[in-house]
Amino acid sequence: MIGKLVETRMKINDNCVGCGQCTSFCRQDAIEVRGKARISDACVECGICSPYCPVKAIEVTV
Amino acid sequence: MKVVVIGAGLGGLLSAARLSKEGHTVEVFERLPITGGRFTNLEYKGFQLSSGAFHMLPHGPGGPLARLLKEMGDDVRIVRSEKTMIRIPLKKGDTDYRQGFRDIPFHDFQKPLSNKDRLKSAYLIVSTRKDPPEGSTLQEWIRSQVKDEWLVKLADSFCGWSLSMRSDEIYVEEVFEIFENLYRFGGPGVPMGGCKGIIDALEKVIMANGGTIHTKSEVSKILVENGNTAGVVVDGTEHKADLVISNTGHAATAGLCSEILSDEKHAEYLRMLEGLRPSAGIKICLSAEEPLIGHSGVLLTPYARRVNGINEVTQVDPSLAPPGKHLTMSHQHVAPENVGKLEEEIDMGLQDLKEIFPGKKYEVLLIQSYHDSWPVNRASSGTDPGNETPIPGLYVVGDGAKGEGGIEVEGIALGVSRTMNKILG
Ligand SMILES: Cc1cc2nc3c(=O)[nH]c(=O)nc-3n(C[C@H](O)[C@H](O)[C@H](O)COP(=O)(O)OP(=O)(O)OC[C@H]3O[C@@H](n4cnc5c(N)ncnc54)[C@H](O)[C@@H]3O)c2cc1C
Ligand code: SF4
Ligand code: SF4
Repeated sequence: MIGKLVETRMKINDNCVGCGQCTSFCRQDAIEVRGKARISDACVECGICSPYCPVKAIEVTV
Repeated sequence: MKVVVIGAGLGGLLSAARLSKEGHTVEVFERLPITGGRFTNLEYKGFQLSSGAFHMLPHGPGGPLARLLKEMGDDVRIVRSEKTMIRIPLKKGDTDYRQGFRDIPFHDFQKPLSNKDRLKSAYLIVSTRKDPPEGSTLQEWIRSQVKDEWLVKLADSFCGWSLSMRSDEIYVEEVFEIFENLYRFGGPGVPMGGCKGIIDALEKVIMANGGTIHTKSEVSKILVENGNTAGVVVDGTEHKADLVISNTGHAATAGLCSEILSDEKHAEYLRMLEGLRPSAGIKICLSAEEPLIGHSGVLLTPYARRVNGINEVTQVDPSLAPPGKHLTMSHQHVAPENVGKLEEEIDMGLQDLKEIFPGKKYEVLLIQSYHDSWPVNRASSGTDPGNETPIPGLYVVGDGAKGEGGIEVEGIALGVSRTMNKILG
């Protein structure tokens, strides 16, 4: 399997308001926001962003 | 007294600082790894962006928040903005900025009116101070007085910037209370160090007085014994307290003690909470080498499609951006019916900025939107239900429980002062 084809395990749920707080804590610059957050291929699944979300919108899926 | 504060937002920290200074034992529990809630700095690409606010206090160094800080011996420097300007089209009759524009000072707002309407508005400025209007929305009231739509546009831009509301969503009495506060306390200002300058100073007061702040600690329940507040539960552990102050708004607070509130006698309180409408908005953060605004005040943009106003905080504190750069931020109100269409709203905001700053070079750093459970304001101005709850010993502070006529964080400070008077007597 090629790494790029494996989707990140980080999921943004419907709680997301698009506040960009997660973006500022992601060291890989992997989160784009425009009304809602989107996690890109640059994500290394470090999980750092998740606890900073004020509305519990970032979930780690298995 | 043992006090527990739920949430380390501005309202929570103000209350914790005040009560610990009075000698009470204060413990603050905050769910996030950072304190400050929607009023702190977010570092991004070397800029001090913010988790919410525009690094601006509506009444600057003379306002209720500055006063409360001073009372507690807090030494944050708050710099008054030099002016508020309004951008209007160059040619009368134009409905946007595309054919050119000029900026007029806020106090000259009557200039675009006809002679007759200008006289009328001059009269109203005096007469309404003695006898403020009431019983209608701001927009209805303006239309009943002056036929010119200019004043409605200006009101929308002012209310959009400072309250994230439209002039037909706010009651005229609330707006006149705000005007009265503007006379009383003066216009906006920027705290040195941005929002975090104030948060840091409050934490210093809390620490110096023996209080504690726990981050990554979510309160899951408010304990009630014999009808009185008895403490909270955090990560399965009970923390007893004589008094609980919640910084999470009335609705979320009610959710933490839903069993007790499900009693029939609290039905009215719960119904009232269902009627609360948080306000929504979008902030677009820009980076530029040359200043885009060029002064430390607000630039209101009543002729833009969506953007209500813009500020440039690096005019006061250059350390909020990397050397040689400016941080300029625009705000736009999002109407309830458009919350589901944020991308379109953002596109319109970006288009507005192109027309407001034609030919200027800037980069869009981050676009931040706020609504529902992380809004601009938990209770739209004029609808705040006060600081008390049906449970004795449980209070709510923050922007879901502002004081009358209090814009944003000034309203939070008024609400905290009112709560402290109730608690401390
Ligand atoms: C885009 C935008 C622009 C704004 N601009 C300005 C401005 O320029 N000037 C101005 O004066 N105001 C402005 N405001 C408003 C201002 O930022 C807010 O009114 C203010 O920050 C809200 O403070 P608060 O005390 O209500 O607490 P909040 O900031 O809501 O903090 C509450 C805290 O409680 C925590 N919490 C929630 N639930 C729990 C729990 N169960 N257990 C533990 N902790 C919990 C949260 O994580 C949060 O940290 C703006 C707001 C936004 C969004
Ligand atoms: S998991 Fe890590 S890399 Fe991925 S988006 Fe979150 S902070 Fe960034
Ligand atoms: S912090 Fe949470 S709500 Fe804010 S943009 Fe990121 S995922 Fe969305």
